[in-house]
Amino acid sequence: MPALVELRSVGKAYPRGAVEVTALREVSLSIMAGESVAVMGPSGSGKSTLLGILGCLDRPTRGEYLLDGREVSSLDDAELSALRNQRIGFVFQSFHLIPQLTVEENVETPLLYGRVPEREWRSRVHACLEKVGLDHRSSHRPPELSGGEAQRAAIARALVTEPQMLLADEPTGNLDSATGDEVADVLWGLHREGRTVVVVTHNEALAARAQRVVRLRDGRIA
Amino acid sequence: MRHRALFRLGLRGLLLHKLRSALSILGVVFGVAAVVAMSSVGEGARREALDQLGALGMDSVTLRARRPAAARSPGALRLRDAESLARVVPHVVATAPVREADLAAEAGSRRADAIAVGTTPDYVLATRLGIAAGRFLAPLDLRDEKRVAVLGASVAAALFPFGPACGERILLGGDWFQVVGVLQGRSSARGRASAIRTRDVNRAVFVPLPALDRGADPRPDGVDEIVMRVDDPTRVAAAAEAAKALVERTGGGAPFDVVVPREILRARERTQRIFNVVTGAIAAISLLVGGIGIMNIMLASVAERTREVGIRRALGATQRDVAAQFLAESSLLTTAGGLLGALLGAAGATLIQQLAGWPTALSPSMLTLALLTAIAVGVGFGSYPAWLAARLAPMEALRHE
Repeated sequence: MPALVELRSVGKAYPRGAVEVTALREVSLSIMAGESVAVMGPSGSGKSTLLGILGCLDRPTRGEYLLDGREVSSLDDAELSALRNQRIGFVFQSFHLIPQLTVEENVETPLLYGRVPEREWRSRVHACLEKVGLDHRSSHRPPELSGGEAQRAAIARALVTEPQMLLADEPTGNLDSATGDEVADVLWGLHREGRTVVVVTHNEALAARAQRVVRLRDGRIA
Repeated sequence: MRHRALFRLGLRGLLLHKLRSALSILGVVFGVAAVVAMSSVGEGARREALDQLGALGMDSVTLRARRPAAARSPGALRLRDAESLARVVPHVVATAPVREADLAAEAGSRRADAIAVGTTPDYVLATRLGIAAGRFLAPLDLRDEKRVAVLGASVAAALFPFGPACGERILLGGDWFQVVGVLQGRSSARGRASAIRTRDVNRAVFVPLPALDRGADPRPDGVDEIVMRVDDPTRVAAAAEAAKALVERTGGGAPFDVVVPREILRARERTQRIFNVVTGAIAAISLLVGGIGIMNIMLASVAERTREVGIRRALGATQRDVAAQFLAESSLLTTAGGLLGALLGAAGATLIQQLAGWPTALSPSMLTLALLTAIAVGVGFGSYPAWLAARLAPMEALRHE
């Protein structure tokens, strides 16, 4: 079975004024469908850059990235956006909910950009909210939610297009340990259901529950 | 993205800062309002001029003595001028001399203030008046100096409200006249004084010229007006020139005016064009200012919603989706501004009409144009902010505080 994610000697450099800052060098990594992976490393080791590339938010400057067998760097903006919409669900450290929208509308947002027919939106949104135990908060706005609720809303949003892969960036970083554990339970529960879950974290306890830990240092896999 | 969703998104963006959105469209509101109000004043003036001039006819030339042909002064225009004009001026198809007197017309116990107009059968040809009943003056009426009268529509209605006027007799300035015809009513220019004085034919009583001459005025040769019609509107200027030259050479020497509706209309149109250019310039300036206001507010909106753009990009929004969202916002803003401005302009026009007494007319094409321009301003001045939003790098936008 081919890997869902295949990075081959991927490098990423940013221009910073006159000099180039290299964030990733020669990273090769395969992630199988259904696998759970934790990416760890100190700040500045290139974790976020790696996540951005894995999530098709950014293109590598060197090497190849095959997502489900397709070379990503040759895709245009619309194709990359469609990939993000349909294949990838994001969960961020600071939740990144849109504050003026209700929980329901936040969860619905990915559907605006996808191909799911509009009549299915409501049932999908509510199924996802139920799954994370947030159906009763659906008409609240993000500022009214606790951290744990906000992160669960974000997970519901990540699930609404039924993506193959969840990418979580420090999902428990802004939560106390109790709610952090709850959120971690939800995430690893999704992995048990068969989704590929990639978590970028500093948290050893969270990482310990992944099948595999990838450690980054200075832009390389250590 | 679906249009309805786009509309909703745009609306939400605007409602996020209601006061700010409302203030930002003021420029567009006042710009559109000013243009709508000004153009409806212009359009009102244009229609009024067309009404008045249309009543005179685009192929008519009227010579009019400046002072009434009073007994002692030498008349500017004389009966024989009319005869020589008819003979000499090329392309003239009808020539009618006119004398006027304000007289009361009576029939039984009814009375109407009327303008007694002494003229010849050609008058109806020169002015294209329509006959509602009976006939107009005939050559025999003139030759035999018959006392017959043709009534204007409102005179007929005032004197004979219940039955046909034809065949009845009326008392006009102390003389009895037999009614032989009634004219069709003609909507005449109402209201404000204008450069073109038109006779209210509805209030007129037409009698043969010699019949009116026998009244108080002892000078039989003077006339107030000579009305001519040429066979082709394009020859009207040449005919007017010829007529003017002829009367100046052979006439009584007193001052007279040459009224050529077609020329007046042309002059009006020239003024109208200047007015339109000025209106257009004001429109352009105010919409430019309004558009800059919109651009300013959209730039602020993009800057403070950078993170939202990053989030939407992560969730699958394309660059086009992001641009469309901000464009929907800016064009909704200016559409609202345009609608409000059109309402305000229409209200302003009504106010002008009532306070200043100027006629105004809202033209639907003007309103449509104003609205379309407002939308175009929204799209035009919203494009740069929308483009900025669309090309934000998703990763950086997400990290933006």
